[in-house]
Amino acid sequence: MRDQELIGRVLAGDPSAERALYDAHVDRVFRLVYRMAGDVDRAQDYTQETFIKAFSRLGEFRGEAALSTWLGSIAISIALNGLRKVKRSMEREVVLDEALTVSRTTAAAEPDLKERLAQAIDDLPEGYRAVFVMHDVEGYTHEEIASSLGVHTGTSKAQLFRARARLRKSLADFVKE
Amino acid sequence: MSDMLDDRFDDQLRDSARDYNAPPTTPREEMWAAIQARRADGQADRQTGGKIRQSPSISPSDRPSARPSVRLLRWPAAIAAVLALGIGLGRLSAPRPSPAAPIIATSVNPPRNGDAAYRITATEHLGQSEAFLTLFRASVRRGGNEQLASATARQLLATNRLLLDSPAASDARTRLLLQDLELVLAEIAQLAPRPSSPDLDLITEGLERGGMMSRLRTAVPSGASPTQGAL
Repeated sequence: MRDQELIGRVLAGDPSAERALYDAHVDRVFRLVYRMAGDVDRAQDYTQETFIKAFSRLGEFRGEAALSTWLGSIAISIALNGLRKVKRSMEREVVLDEALTVSRTTAAAEPDLKERLAQAIDDLPEGYRAVFVMHDVEGYTHEEIASSLGVHTGTSKAQLFRARARLRKSLADFVKE
Repeated sequence: MSDMLDDRFDDQLRDSARDYNAPPTTPREEMWAAIQARRADGQADRQTGGKIRQSPSISPSDRPSARPSVRLLRWPAAIAAVLALGIGLGRLSAPRPSPAAPIIATSVNPPRNGDAAYRITATEHLGQSEAFLTLFRASVRRGGNEQLASATARQLLATNRLLLDSPAASDARTRLLLQDLELVLAEIAQLAPRPSSPDLDLITEGLERGGMMSRLRTAVPSGASPTQGAL
């Protein structure tokens, strides 16, 4: 209800309502995109982009889902698109870097469980990682995830199941210990 | 039995995963100021019929990584060097009036192909500068290698000056942006090998205060890479 009031005021051109709407939702958006990006600059950019887009499209919000879910869907879409491009850019840089530097191998210390888990989560396929982060890390419901990602609830559940299975497999040696 | 183990593992997983990319405190005010600045830029663009920005919906971080990695600084440097070489070659190979030939009055405007080439080159340069300054800002925050940044800034500065000197530099807004960018790049290029914190703070504050980053982002058409989709 409060969101509906705020939306009405924003659409009527009330700048204080824009700020109130931002304040009400920015933490959740920033947390989600930071979890996905793992980098404060990118997370800030994705959050800013989310609100810029949301304010420009607020008139299209029909209230079928909660405003937080709608913002989440914009945020996750921006973060995933951005991270895809970053990944492509990183791959290109690695090729460039390999051409410029002499390869060297160093004996890395055995990472602890948290590092291994973080690496395993990073290595999950994009869709699995998004669902895992949203559900197991940020506490979104499957309904919210499904709405944000534009998939069925069953798909969200299946992807979470597969994500956990992959993580179990990746961390199998830790589990045995 | 296996299901029980799986369930227990899932519980442990959830507990451990809470530390995955644990977010810092939300920088509310900083982001709000940036949002306001970029929305104001967007409105100004619409009012002036600006065509540089194509879409407000693509993140500036879509461009090269914001992670402060020293080796990433080579990328803008390499591109800047190629751009500088390209502009230099273009200038050298451009037709010059023969001393013996009569001077014939022609249109004041440079050929349209020249305009397009300039726009593409300027856009690529601005994209690379934005990527570089993003990396620089992040590197300063984390105590990175500013010496290498200084070398990269010199490369970008050379390209920047070539673009400013070009006869095709007719767009007032791009000229102003290039002029402001020149000041920032010159400051970074002149950094001592081990710059003091106040020097670095002055540069980063200058970036924030002048809205340089948002102006660069607005000037660069959104997309995967400054080198893509320019045509």
